[in-house]
Amino acid sequence: MSSSAVSLYLDPQIRDWVLFPITLVMILVGVLRHYVVVLLQSPPKKQPRAAVREQRALVRSQILRATSSNSPAPPSFYLSISHHLSDAFEAGTYLKDGPPKPGSDGAPTAPPNPMTDPAAMDGMMSGMKTQMVMMVPQMVIMGWINFFFQGFVLIKLPFPLTLGFKSMLQRGIETPDMDVRWVSSLSWYFLNFFGLNGLYRLILGGDNSADSSQAMMASPFAAAGATQPGQPQDFNKLFKAEKEHLAFAEGLYSWVGEDVEDRVLQRYGELN
Amino acid sequence: MSLSSALETLANYRSHNTRASQHTLEKGVEVLKANAVVKLGDDAWAFLEQLTLAAIDVGRLDIADECLEELAKTFPNSPRVNVLTGIRMEASESPEVVLKFYDEQLTEDSSNAAIWKRRISVLRRTGKLEKCVEELSTYLDTFYNDLEGWVELADVYSSCHQYTSALQALTHALLLAPQNPFYTLQFAETAFTVNDLPLALKTFLLVIDMCERELRTPIEAKESVPSGIGVRAWYGVKLCCRRALGRSSSSITSQSNTSLPDVKKLQKLDELATERVLTAYSASAKGAEGKGVVMAWMGSNI
Repeated sequence: MSSSAVSLYLDPQIRDWVLFPITLVMILVGVLRHYVVVLLQSPPKKQPRAAVREQRALVRSQILRATSSNSPAPPSFYLSISHHLSDAFEAGTYLKDGPPKPGSDGAPTAPPNPMTDPAAMDGMMSGMKTQMVMMVPQMVIMGWINFFFQGFVLIKLPFPLTLGFKSMLQRGIETPDMDVRWVSSLSWYFLNFFGLNGLYRLILGGDNSADSSQAMMASPFAAAGATQPGQPQDFNKLFKAEKEHLAFAEGLYSWVGEDVEDRVLQRYGELN
Repeated sequence: MSLSSALETLANYRSHNTRASQHTLEKGVEVLKANAVVKLGDDAWAFLEQLTLAAIDVGRLDIADECLEELAKTFPNSPRVNVLTGIRMEASESPEVVLKFYDEQLTEDSSNAAIWKRRISVLRRTGKLEKCVEELSTYLDTFYNDLEGWVELADVYSSCHQYTSALQALTHALLLAPQNPFYTLQFAETAFTVNDLPLALKTFLLVIDMCERELRTPIEAKESVPSGIGVRAWYGVKLCCRRALGRSSSSITSQSNTSLPDVKKLQKLDELATERVLTAYSASAKGAEGKGVVMAWMGSNI
């Protein structure tokens, strides 16, 4: 009890000149960032017909396979489509640059270096630009807070917390004895950084670019795991794999109309 | 008050893709007169597009031009506005001019699906069916999952009696929308037209199977009244059964190598189909008028 009686007394000037400005600056920077990202986004590139065809060729066989165990297509039609597709995949009819030459067959062609491919380069650059817009303002604000307000205690939370929160709420102040309820300037920055997303969504709408959760997803480390959009895919390989899937699906195939007369008769109780 | 309700109706039409052109035009002109377009914000452009299409539909080209001008001012070089411009040109210019316009657009961006489809529709309208089929096939080869495209192709084929090709096109439509009984019915009727009785019978039964999913017990099924496309499918079953029973089994050919159910089942299906169709006509007073005709048809042996 006595320790809370000799509590710290915060100068209201800190509230007016540090707490509010930090919050305000972060909100404004978020809004600004949203508009900068919108400005930077280049319109999606137009693709020639052959490229679209190549990309969508896989979908054809996926649609065919999706229903293969109860297919609406009668057997002769199903088989003709299935064989046509697997022949086309084998021959590489759907490849953007036409079927591979018979001489170079077998030797796997190395995927083109993304640095030399201007199309892939564009994709990477736009990603980088967005990244920069995300990172730079955050670094500047953090530097600003660290430089001017290092070690400031800004606010006292109106509820008690356990000691575990000390490192979260009192970053930048090395005081083992201070009550956890006091929040330091750097911690206030982090709380804002993660906590303002809801506010941004309110101001800028659902899919805004100020949202830091999106920045997390778009981080360079996350991109390493997922397939990169800029990375050119080896469609020839994908088609060869899809051919195998088609063969499997053909094994599973059965026409939904195979015994439909039994089903209908059974429904009317005529089948015995 | 009426303005807000007009806007609401229009938004409703947009989201449901309703083509009530005359109505849309009346409401749209009301909105234009009240100068409420600016207040719509981002919805304004969708509204203008809707109004343009409706105005072209009912032949009020002056209003269409007005809207189109507004749209072109805001979105120069937008593919969507270009499509609208093309449709507007189709209303007044000769097909050659329109085709040339579409060709120009396609050389600029060869994968613009909307323009491509418009071009194909102009080709069909002007009777260049061969070119139209060729283009449509190339289009569908690129944009496989365009359901409307496949149905259109089947329609073009049917219109020149190429029913086998139409069946193939419809197969793709079936694969893309296996849940839609209307395409299955179309498939069945096309199969009946090529004289592939077993395939037609099976697909008619499929339609029935799809439409009557909710009937659980035989009693419930017996008491139900077929409606909508169910009646049509039962008619189809009746037709197929009668033909199949009337002929020797060796004379029934099937291009798709589908096998017919055995004679006992066929007879049962025949009886059931007769009973079902008659039920559909005796349920309501309106249907009862035609019952005599249907009875006569059922008894006859065509």
